[in-house]
Amino acid sequence: MDTHLIPGARFVDPKVLSRVKDLELLAKSVVDGFINGLHRAPYFGASIDFAEHRGYVAGDDIRRVDWRLYARTDRYYIKQYEADTNANLSVLVDVSKSMAFASQGVSKLEYGKFLAACIAYLSHRQRDRVGIVTFDSEIVAHVPPSAKHFNVLLHTLDRAVPERPGRLLANLSLLAEHFKRRSIVALISDLYESPEALVEVLKPYAFLGNDLVVFHVLDPAEIEFPYNEPSRFVDLESGEEVPVVPEGFADQYRKLMQEHISALRTKCTDARIDYVLLDTSKPLDEALFHYLGNRERLMRVR
Amino acid sequence: MSFLAPFFLVGLAAVAVPIFVHLIQRERRNVIEFPSLMFIQKIPFQSVERRRIHNWWLLLLRLAALALIVAAFARPFFTVDPVAAAARATGAREVVILLDRSASMGYGNHWARAQDEARKVINGLGGEDRATLVLFDDGPEESVRATSDRGSLTAAIGQAKVSSGATRFAPALRLAQSKLSMSDRSRKEAYLISDFQKSGWARQEEIHLPEGATITPISVAELETSDLAVASVSLARASFSGEDRVTITAGLINRGGTPVTKRPVQLEIDGRVTASRDVTIAPNGTGSVTYDAVTVSDSNVRASIRTGTDNLPANNSFFFVLSPSRPVSVLVLQNDSADRSASIYLTTVLGLSTAPRFTTEVAAASRVTPGQLDGRSLVVVNDASLSSATADLLRAFVERGGGLFLALGDRNPSGSDWALLPGSLGSAVDRLAMRGGTLGYLDYSSPIFDEFKDPRNGNFANMRFLKYRTLTPAPTDHVLARFDDGAAALVERRVGSGRVIAFTSTIDGSWNDVPKHGMYLPLMHRLAQYLAQFDQPTPWQTVGRMMDISTPVAALVREGQAGAGGSGRARGARGVVVSPAGEQTSLGEGGTPTIALNEQGFYSVRLTGVGDRRPFEVAVNMDPAESDLSSLPAAEFLAGATGGGTVTPGGTSMEQAVLTPADIEKKQSIWWFLLVAGLVALLAESIVSNRLSRRSGFNLFGTNAGSRA
Repeated sequence: MDTHLIPGARFVDPKVLSRVKDLELLAKSVVDGFINGLHRAPYFGASIDFAEHRGYVAGDDIRRVDWRLYARTDRYYIKQYEADTNANLSVLVDVSKSMAFASQGVSKLEYGKFLAACIAYLSHRQRDRVGIVTFDSEIVAHVPPSAKHFNVLLHTLDRAVPERPGRLLANLSLLAEHFKRRSIVALISDLYESPEALVEVLKPYAFLGNDLVVFHVLDPAEIEFPYNEPSRFVDLESGEEVPVVPEGFADQYRKLMQEHISALRTKCTDARIDYVLLDTSKPLDEALFHYLGNRERLMRVR
Repeated sequence: MSFLAPFFLVGLAAVAVPIFVHLIQRERRNVIEFPSLMFIQKIPFQSVERRRIHNWWLLLLRLAALALIVAAFARPFFTVDPVAAAARATGAREVVILLDRSASMGYGNHWARAQDEARKVINGLGGEDRATLVLFDDGPEESVRATSDRGSLTAAIGQAKVSSGATRFAPALRLAQSKLSMSDRSRKEAYLISDFQKSGWARQEEIHLPEGATITPISVAELETSDLAVASVSLARASFSGEDRVTITAGLINRGGTPVTKRPVQLEIDGRVTASRDVTIAPNGTGSVTYDAVTVSDSNVRASIRTGTDNLPANNSFFFVLSPSRPVSVLVLQNDSADRSASIYLTTVLGLSTAPRFTTEVAAASRVTPGQLDGRSLVVVNDASLSSATADLLRAFVERGGGLFLALGDRNPSGSDWALLPGSLGSAVDRLAMRGGTLGYLDYSSPIFDEFKDPRNGNFANMRFLKYRTLTPAPTDHVLARFDDGAAALVERRVGSGRVIAFTSTIDGSWNDVPKHGMYLPLMHRLAQYLAQFDQPTPWQTVGRMMDISTPVAALVREGQAGAGGSGRARGARGVVVSPAGEQTSLGEGGTPTIALNEQGFYSVRLTGVGDRRPFEVAVNMDPAESDLSSLPAAEFLAGATGGGTVTPGGTSMEQAVLTPADIEKKQSIWWFLLVAGLVALLAESIVSNRLSRRSGFNLFGTNAGSRA
């Protein structure tokens, strides 16, 4: 029985996807299946649509003067068109070591890669320019948005390996300066930072008119903390060890995690940042919904 | 506290398992790689300390359950070691000295050594100690009752002599048990001084001395013994010129490890050596000597076989009595008018018997003289009327031990008040109309019919009786057979030492078909033997048997001496017994009723009123088993006799606790309580741990390990 929100979601089960090595094929399968399942037309279409006329002012390009209207009215009008629908999509993927955690077969990084590939494919099909930045303690790869960079993006994703500890805040601050043009910025990370600090770093993206979607990718074990044996917990990034007796501890951990998530959600909402919590055991459809929602909003802007 | 199965205590190591597992749990390190310790580090530090045992009492409950069950399997019991207790005990002793005086103790210097050992025990007595001296062979004799007087004990030992009796330990040990049980002394000891013959102990006998009592066996047996014993004598009889000739064969056993070569073996008759033969017997072998046949013309002739002397002289002689095998003399009285055919059936069947042989004489009832009864064992009155004189003669004859058989026909044998007629005689019953009657009841417990108990040995049911006399027996009479209508057929009456049997029909075939019946012959043989009190004479007896006056009287009857018109009345017979040692004892009326044949040799019984005929002789020999000198190790013997025990390092000395650990443990049954307690503890543990586990997830080992549940 298909319990997913939409029929096409069955194509986006992360465990199934993990078996597909070709990211393009993966993204194509996911997105086509997903789109077909929506039963409505995608927001593709004319890229140059007339919007209105305005009076000529000095300095306007005379090529944009509507000469036919001049002939009828003897006045100079400039033709205005709908804004360019080809948006920039920049995917910021955290490839720090913490993203390598996997309790159920699919690591957070793999999940993030599927997600990045899918949304990139979606955008690419809409003639959007797609780019990617991977980072851990520093910028690992930077592919500027371009209509021709889809394959480069996939290649970059493919090469991304979690090797080093991450410095999320520093990297985000650094990258914020690069997004001069309005873009859709999708951040894929496990966001192990203080919500306040994180949102402060993300705010500049919004100020620059970027549409920011934060995909908070977490493994179910990070949320549920299913451990009950006394164990030593080792930090994947720092290697630090902490002996833990889960008795009574799990509840506290879950509480802290939920507080962290809700703090992120609240603060992102306040800063007009889309926040999406993703569980690596869940299908990708939720993430794609959020992305498409944002994409739609962006298209309506001139 | 002791344990019956201490090796089960190894199981106590199991109590370490919960602790061990707990320690293992503590030391185990699960390493989990986690994306970030951001939140974990915010939570107050959870240390190993948290893994301490939270429910000590639960752990203790488990350990206790395990320990209880293991202890139950080890079968614990509380005991005060009786041997140790006896050793520790101070105070006066109760000592029982059991001194074996059986015939085998006469071997070599066994008896002297046994006496010395007994004296040693007596010398070891303290001033407060009390000792009982028990001499035993096949029965114990309390020679000296519990006393502190060493002098009397020593004197009794000095006076004691080896008997001819066999060895039996059980009665002596039981007497010791009884003596020690009744004593209130704190220390109870028994000393058994013997040669510990194997034959003296029957396996099924077991003795239980009181708790704390010790028994110390002192053996005087030797490993190597040599002995030649005359074990048996067999007599082969033959008749020659009306005389009995007996061929005597002696059986000998060499119980030594060296051969016996050309040892003379002499036959003595009436105190004179009549023949001598040399015998050669291999080590541990047997041999026999056969002498030329001797003519036995007189009764009660003493005879013996002797073969020199050796370490055990008692079994070098074998005593027996020679008597001629006389036929049983029967006088048949019939009516004057009757011809010989009236008794032909009876005389014919009696003449056919060989063991014993019967000689019959048929006489007219009216002309019986006292002389005709002389030498008779049995008189048969075959449907005859007796004169009063004859009736009186017969009465005297029966009272002296003679037998009388009355075959009743048309005639009354005597007056109705005749003491020999068993009951009152009535008229004749004619069963012709009913085609005859049959025998309906036979008393198979009677010696007459005993042999016919088995149906294969004959059937009396098809005998036909056309006519018989009614006879109403007196209450003291014994009905041996009845007809199918309940009328008495055979009735017995005891008169004096004799027996009378009345048959209510004829024996000539006129009233019945009995003489033509196949069972007639065995029936008449049995009747005649019974009435003549015929008993196959035994040439010798074994030490320990009892003898009463009936034995010599029966011999008189058998030899036909009862009919000699003596004055002695057999029922009230009296005699004087002279033992082999020469002691005289009165036997029978006015004297002792029985006499024990305790000595080896000849007992002479001279009955009063039998004239100057030879006295009745009884030859007595020691038990052949007593010649078997093989002995048990003392400790092994006592271990068997007292149901298992411990042997002290003292070699021949063994102190035996009466109750074995198994007995004590069985008596206390502590294991049962421990097992129940252990199971209850386990039950409580499972209930409690289930509840705790459900509530907060306790692990199996009493430690709180988180949400395992």
